[in-house]
Amino acid sequence: MEPAVSSLYVHVPFCVRKCRYCAFVSEAADGAKMDRYAAAVARELGALDGGRRLETIYVGGGTPVLLESRHWDRLVEALDRKGMIPAAEWTVEGNPGAMDLAKARRLRALGINRVSLGVQSLDDDVLAGLGRIHRAADARRAFDDLRRAGFENVNIDLMFGVPGQTLEGWRRTLEEVLTWGSEHLACYEVIYEEDTPLFRDRAAGRIREDEDLACDMYDLLLDRAGAAGLSQYEVANWARGGGAGEFPGRACRHNINYWRGGSYYGAGPAACSHVGGVRRRNHRSLERYCAALERGEQAMEEVDALEPLARAGEIAAFGLRLTSGWPYDLFRQATGYDLRTEWRTELEQIERLGYGKREADRFRLNPAGLRMADWVAEQMLRS
Amino acid sequence: METDHIRNFCIIAHIDHGKTTLSDRLLARTGTITEREMQDQLLDSMDLERERGITIKAHPVTMVYRARNGETYELNLIDTPGHVDFTYEVSRSLAACEGALLIVDAAQGVEAQTVANLHLAAKQNLEIIPVINKIDLPHANVEQTKAQLEDILAIPAENAILASAKEGIGIDEILEAIVQRIPPPKPTGAPSLQALVFDSYFDTFKGVVNHVRMFNGALERGLEVMLLHSGKSLEVKEVGSFNPKPYEREQLGVGETGYFTANIKSPLDVKMGDTLTDARHPSPQLHGFQEIHPMVFSGIYPINTADYEHLKTNLAKLQLNDSAFVYQAETSVALGFGFRCGFLGLLHLEIVQERLRREYGMDIIATYPSVVYRVQMTDGTVKEIDNPAFLPEPNFINQIEEPMVRAYIICPNEYIGDMLNLLTEKRGTVLNTETLDTRRVMMTSRVPLNEIVIDFHDRIKSLTRGYGSMDYEPDGLQVSDMVKLDILVNSEPVDAFSCIVHREKAEGRGRALAARLRDVIPRQQFAVPIQAAIGGKIIARETVRAFRKDVTAKCYGGDITRKRKLLEKQKEGKKRMKSIGAVNIPQEAFIEVLKA
Ligand SMILES: Nc1nc2c(ncn2[C@@H]2O[C@H](COP(=O)(O)OP(=O)(O)OP(=O)(O)O)[C@@H](O)[C@H]2O)c(=O)[nH]1
Ligand code: SF4
Ligand SMILES: [Mg+2]
Repeated sequence: MEPAVSSLYVHVPFCVRKCRYCAFVSEAADGAKMDRYAAAVARELGALDGGRRLETIYVGGGTPVLLESRHWDRLVEALDRKGMIPAAEWTVEGNPGAMDLAKARRLRALGINRVSLGVQSLDDDVLAGLGRIHRAADARRAFDDLRRAGFENVNIDLMFGVPGQTLEGWRRTLEEVLTWGSEHLACYEVIYEEDTPLFRDRAAGRIREDEDLACDMYDLLLDRAGAAGLSQYEVANWARGGGAGEFPGRACRHNINYWRGGSYYGAGPAACSHVGGVRRRNHRSLERYCAALERGEQAMEEVDALEPLARAGEIAAFGLRLTSGWPYDLFRQATGYDLRTEWRTELEQIERLGYGKREADRFRLNPAGLRMADWVAEQMLRS
Repeated sequence: METDHIRNFCIIAHIDHGKTTLSDRLLARTGTITEREMQDQLLDSMDLERERGITIKAHPVTMVYRARNGETYELNLIDTPGHVDFTYEVSRSLAACEGALLIVDAAQGVEAQTVANLHLAAKQNLEIIPVINKIDLPHANVEQTKAQLEDILAIPAENAILASAKEGIGIDEILEAIVQRIPPPKPTGAPSLQALVFDSYFDTFKGVVNHVRMFNGALERGLEVMLLHSGKSLEVKEVGSFNPKPYEREQLGVGETGYFTANIKSPLDVKMGDTLTDARHPSPQLHGFQEIHPMVFSGIYPINTADYEHLKTNLAKLQLNDSAFVYQAETSVALGFGFRCGFLGLLHLEIVQERLRREYGMDIIATYPSVVYRVQMTDGTVKEIDNPAFLPEPNFINQIEEPMVRAYIICPNEYIGDMLNLLTEKRGTVLNTETLDTRRVMMTSRVPLNEIVIDFHDRIKSLTRGYGSMDYEPDGLQVSDMVKLDILVNSEPVDAFSCIVHREKAEGRGRALAARLRDVIPRQQFAVPIQAAIGGKIIARETVRAFRKDVTAKCYGGDITRKRKLLEKQKEGKKRMKSIGAVNIPQEAFIEVLKA
């Protein structure tokens, strides 16, 4: 039998204004819209199989901290009614430009115990170039507020490879952030999504990608994060804490569940879920999402049902992003397939390129292979 | 129709001088098509013709014209292509006619194909009606064009009709001239049917549809006929003409132009230029036209080996409508199973490839084009080599002869120096420089075909800002110091990129090819060396750098599906590349090398 779903993602589609690299559908924050949104999410949660405490909840966006207390109350009430909270790990994404001490305290009081703070950079020029609403000083203050509000598990999101960012600037951001002593660090390279101003800048030749510089930044990151006592457990994620398990104690369990092909519910517009081996996505449009739920219908827009082998290929592909790779027995439990026999040619090829190794109990990528995680994933996919 | 009321003519000119546009006008003026059906270059019906704005295939059309003298005439027009690769189409069309409209662009004047096509027409003793077209253009120079007609072509200028196909000027005069100046067809006096088969196309229902020009007798359904060359007897199923769509007729009589079908399954069963006659009372062979031989060869391979049979079927389909295109199976070390294909020139090659890609949705790659070399071996035997992969080792070769062409270049005086430099670069020798008028010369030169295949024409155009033009014809062989240039990708020779070049040019070509490939071969997980070599000696080396890392992008809100789909798309893209020596090479690389 399918194990009970123990993770939930809630999407909050409101932002103060659009960042220049972001292709996400989000809307300007507006009280009435948020009321309608919160009611719809509560309805959607109400329709889930409940009766069981969740392991992880992740409220992402958008900018979730733009929600008012009354919206949070609706959310909490809906979860409570289902018996889903308190969750062991409950993360909310925090935008330094929208976070203050009072808000942090309120979130903490609701039982939220982890915040992922979108710092991105401590270089004001870089932040302005990205179109972020905050400045470096806001980020410093927001982090302090979180600590003062009692958050003991905080992630810092950073971006590198940003147009205009120098290696020196990246070094300053990294070094300062590492002195803060956050429990978790996630660093992503900027990507050029179609229909974003950044994409158009590149197409028009106003900015150029510099692969070598991005590589140097990544090298620096590996070096400094390690030196600061953080352990890398995924291509772009580091965490503190030894712990007896496969992962550092402060690793984000919600994300690990994604990479390991686990099940999760999704609520809110554009939210994705993975239940019973089927991935679904809700309407991207807030209007359609709300309207569907108000009619008492599901808000689903896309269903991604795959043949078992193709799903297993996907799960194999994404699990290898973790430094601990795929333990063979776990993979078999998750997919029903034997990684070593079914993907033998691919594993051999990956080994030949010096990207990874078949160990006694698992297959995992080495640091060289982790840099090529997308390429590895491509090899593992089955259509 | 009585023969004295029939006129057969074709429209010939240099490329782009307005043949097809004028044809459209004639069709409209004679009511063959309605104003509503009228669209630009209506006869260029193939997608590729429309897109490139050029005619690729000759088109016959039958028009009915009421002349000023009150009589009704049947006018059979054949619009021909202007590009030098398709000169063959012109020759075939001329053989079916008594006259030709020679179009000259009033702004461009007489150009190389004007001269070449006029010569072809004159050889057939056709009546020439000169038409000076595009007189509406602001920079049209009618006086100068008239002078050129007299000086260069020895055509009396007073015979020329001034026209604008675009504006509809001079159309009636042209129609009248056709009736008055072009002689009607005359029966040959042979005892029975004689018809010249001058073209064909394939119809899924009717089989091969043969274009015929009637020289003697009559052709109708049910007749037992015979093709003299093959000796095969056939029963005629349908006869008709084009308007421009095919329409059935009771009968084709002496002097008429049209088509017949006879359940012929393969175009290979009909030799172009053959004579069709009565099977029971055969008449002698008509004066046909020379068979065409491909000049340029290239291997075509499916990207996915599983597509081999599919490719074979589609090549056969293409050949149904393009008898000048030939192919036969071959294998390549790097590319697997494919076909050696012969073409009339590079444009012809490009068109066939493009049709395979677009009309037939095939992922294919083509090897570097080659001409045919005559190789004399030390043991006295002789080999014809059209594929560099099969060039024997130098120590077995006595000498190599390469095909030559006689090229006629017309250019304004101020570019003579540039043309001489270009000809020297292309290993050509100037045989003769003739003054055409005060502004232009015609240079006759002998150049190796291998030097002009790829970019000669484009170079002339760009060096002369479009005012130079060129025509060429085969001109025997010449002993040359040729070597095989190999390209190694990731240390594996890729025969698709090999070519036979003159020793003195090998190094430069090798460097250019390697540099070009460095730019078009996408980066891989490892560094890819690209080397050019002659006889095992490396003469150039470039490297495609390895990827250092993938982009570490965020996966928003657990949207694994989206990320997976992105990866699938990338993977799909690579499947459409050819994997050689563990390196993925995109189709474009095989096209781009031509531009090195
Ligand atoms: N201004 C002007 N343009 C013309 C005239 N006749 C043709 N053109 C233009 O010249 C270009 C070439 O015309 P086509 O009729 O395709 O020439 P073509 O001789 O059939 O060309 P090929 O078949 O490729 O040799 C087109 O852009 C026409 O619109 C004319 O009388 N006046
Ligand atoms: S805050 Fe986040 S979701 Fe909103 S526009 Fe910026 S990047 Fe996009
Ligand atoms: Mg034309």
